Order: sequence, then C-alpha cells, then structure tokens
Amino acid sequence: MTQKALKVQDQDVVRSTNEFLKQLLSSGKIQALLVPQSTPSKKVVYPVLIADPKKLHADVIAPVLPVATATMISKMTKIQPPSKPIGVVLRSCQIRALIELVKLNQANLTNIIIIGVDCPGTFPINIYADFPEKKTPTQVIVDMMTQKTTDAEQYLRSACQVCKDPIPMNADIVLGLYGTDIEKEIIIEAHTEIGKELLKDLNLENEKEGKTREKAVKDIREQKDKKRAAFLKQTEGINGIEKIAEFFDKCVNCHNCRQACPICYCKECLFDSAVFDAEAYKFIRKAENKGLVKMPSDALLFQLGRMNHMILSCVECGLCEQACPNTIPLMEVFIPAAENAQKEFTYHPGKDKTEKIPMIVYREDEFLEVGEK
Amino acid sequence: MSEEKNDHKTKVFEPKIVGFLCNWCSYAGADLAGTSRIQYPPNIRIIRVMCSGSVDSMYILRALLEGADGVFVGGCHPGDCHYIDGNYKARRRMVLLENILGTLGLEKERVWLRWISASEGQKFADTMREMTESIRKLGPNPIAKHWNL
Repeated sequence: MTQKALKVQDQDVVRSTNEFLKQLLSSGKIQALLVPQSTPSKKVVYPVLIADPKKLHADVIAPVLPVATATMISKMTKIQPPSKPIGVVLRSCQIRALIELVKLNQANLTNIIIIGVDCPGTFPINIYADFPEKKTPTQVIVDMMTQKTTDAEQYLRSACQVCKDPIPMNADIVLGLYGTDIEKEIIIEAHTEIGKELLKDLNLENEKEGKTREKAVKDIREQKDKKRAAFLKQTEGINGIEKIAEFFDKCVNCHNCRQACPICYCKECLFDSAVFDAEAYKFIRKAENKGLVKMPSDALLFQLGRMNHMILSCVECGLCEQACPNTIPLMEVFIPAAENAQKEFTYHPGKDKTEKIPMIVYREDEFLEVGEK
Repeated sequence: MSEEKNDHKTKVFEPKIVGFLCNWCSYAGADLAGTSRIQYPPNIRIIRVMCSGSVDSMYILRALLEGADGVFVGGCHPGDCHYIDGNYKARRRMVLLENILGTLGLEKERVWLRWISASEGQKFADTMREMTESIRKLGPNPIAKHWNL
C-alpha cells in the first residue's frame, strides 16, 4: 500500500477532492468516472457518470445515498463491462454490495477501478434535501469529522450509526478522511498495483506519518462497535410472532424496500407474480380457517421471504429502511437477523472477492445435527 | 382449524404437517410404505418435489404462516442425491431458515429435515409417527390464530 496526501485548498474539502478526481480523469488513464454529484437544484447528490472533466463537480463528502450505487454499476457492467478502465467512487457499503453482486453474477469488475471513500455516514434523503439548518449537510459532516460539533450525529441514518465497516475494503484507491484534519489534508492510499499506477503522475505529496490514520480507524471502529452492541441489545425485544406482526403492521406490501436493496436482483420477483392470486374460494377457505384474514395477506411472507433470500449478503446499507413509505425501522429487524445468519456461516459479505456465497457451497461434514437426529 | 380441535378438550390434537418429499428417494420411500401396507399417521400432506434442494425456504415459511403445525422435508441420504449435492444445499438452507424461525419466535422443532431412501418404507412410517407425536406435544402452531400477517 502506498500512502500519499492531498493538500486541501482554502479548507474546501469538496473542491479539493473534486480537483483530485479531475486530475485523474484528465490523465487519460480512465475514460469516465462515476461520482456522487449534486443535481442542479442542489437538493440531492446522485451517482453521475462523467466523461468530460469540465463537467465534473463531485461531492464525495455529501452525506446522502439516494440509490444503491452498486446496482447502477451492475446495470452498466452486467451485459458487457467497459473496454477501457472507468473509475467508480463508492462508500464502503456500496463496495461490499458490489462485491456481492459480482459473486451473484450480476456485475463485472473488468476495467472497474474502485475508488473508496471513508464514510462518515449519511442522512435520510428527505432530511438531506430539506436540511433544517443554515449550514449545508456537507458542512455539518465536515464539522463532525474535524470535531467542531457533533450536530451531524442526530441526523445519521440508523444503519450508518451502527455501521461496522465505515472504511472501504477491496478498493484500488481509498480517499482517507479518518486520521487527518480534512480541512487541511486528505490521505490518498493505493491498495492495488492499478491504484498505484493511477496515482503515479498526479500532483500529490508523500505522506510521512501513517500511524495517526491507523489509530483513528481503530477508534472509529470501536465507537461504532459500541453503538452496534447497544443497538443489538435494544432490538432484542422484537422477537416472536406478536412483536414481528406488530412491527410490520404498517407494511402495505409495496415492495419499495426490495427495489432499493442492492442485493435483491431478481428480474422477476416471486412476489410480483400471480402466485398469490387465486380463486375466490381459496381466500374464503383461508378466512374460514382463521375466522378472518387481512388483505393483502402476504405482507409478512414477503418480508420474511426477502429476508431469507438476501440476508447472508446483506451489507446493512439501510436503503430498504430509507425507501419505506411508512417509515418502518427495518434495520431493527434486519441488522440482528444479518448478524445471526452471517455468524452462523462465518460469512462477511463484501469482504473476500474469492469467497463464494454460502448457499452455493457446502461441506459434507457440516451441520450434522440438521437432517438426522 | 387446530383451534377448533382445541375447543373440544377431550379430542387429541391432530397436527397438520406439510411434507416436501424428493422425487427420487423420500417420495419413493413413502410410496413403498404405502404399497407395503405399513401404517403411519395420516397427518402429513405430501407434496412431491424434484429435490430437497429445490425446496425454497419460502415454501416452508408460507406453510407455517398459513397455519401448518409442522413442515417435513425429506431428501436422499447425504452422498446419494440424484443431483449430486442438492441435499447438502437443502441442509444449509435449513440452517438459515432456523435462524429466521428464531426471529419469528417459532420452535425450530416444527421443521424437520430427514434423509429417507427409496427402500426405507419402514423408516418413513416410523419418522411420520415420531414427528406427529413430537408436534402433538408442541401443540398447535401459534401463528395459526393470527389473521393480521
């Protein structure tokens, strides 16, 4: 790994990172960049694919994740990956989601240069778009990172508050925000040979001290782990059929959560099919069995079915929760479920590119207690 | 329906069990039990599937949410799968499902995965007896009375 430093001009971290990306794109070594960039209204920051360096106004700090960027990369690499390198700027959770999509044969990393950014967390899209403070959301996050105020913490999405991997893994280049005063300097790391090659001719300074970042990364992990443990403790009570039924009471079976999920990739979802339409007498029989039946009658089956299908690859990005029109705090059920299921198979989604997803591999001598007693 | 039975305290609770049996082994095992006239409790409703590995956990969850008291999945013995490794995959799925049943607060003993070969008619009958008794002890599926799922 090579570590370099990017000097921040006028304390403007957004402009300086943008300048860095502009240098990268102008170098001609990559033909396009997928970056988070504000829409003209400045209300939301979307992933934007940029070919012309003059049009590049990336905001890699903006604390918002409107859509799963990993899904966008799946869309543009699944049929045919690019013939020349393109760079994609991603948060840690989206890199992990992308790696899972690769394992699921839904994305192709050929000629994809992953540029990871240390993630301070994101706000719900509605709060970001209509921010209640005078400062911009980006400034609030920068103030949190430079330890001026902790205002940002109250806005963070619950998934971000308990994130276990805010530091990107499997990236070629990492923009390090932890362990540096980001209003003065940003750490740029090359984690692969390709990353090193790309950084070679750019206008960067050599980083001298590497220890501060290591410590800051350890600190932030510990801080998040503590919050996570408290979160898991606090959500323990959501268990059992009564509590689960109550939890999903507001679910209107709209499937927005599935739409937002980077892992749910099926082109034809069972729950959109006609499987749950049936002759009237079948519904009446069901009503007769229980005395009465709620319509639609498959909302909980959808939630549990979806959970069952994606939970081992769940990267806990929390986009399902953000997409819920009735603000069901889905992370309170999905994070504990992911924690348990992934522990069972000692699987860390997005960590190891070469590891196969647990449901397609097996060992003959495992789980012997299941199957025969 | 299990509720109805409970109203009459004198009547024993007859669990409803949905069974997914693989075409190549367990279904043939059940068939052998029938053609050999081996008696077993009639509590199981058998659905033939091509492989235990093809039983998506969704099928099992749906049966349970609709009020089945137990679900039985039967496959070939490890190493004998007609599709080489379907039953090993079924076993992994079962482990994942048990996790989700935990969230639902449902006893994992309501879902059984067993290996029954085509020649094991007696074993099929014995297993059915064992499972019916076991579920009878557990009592009716608590989900059955929930209509708001």
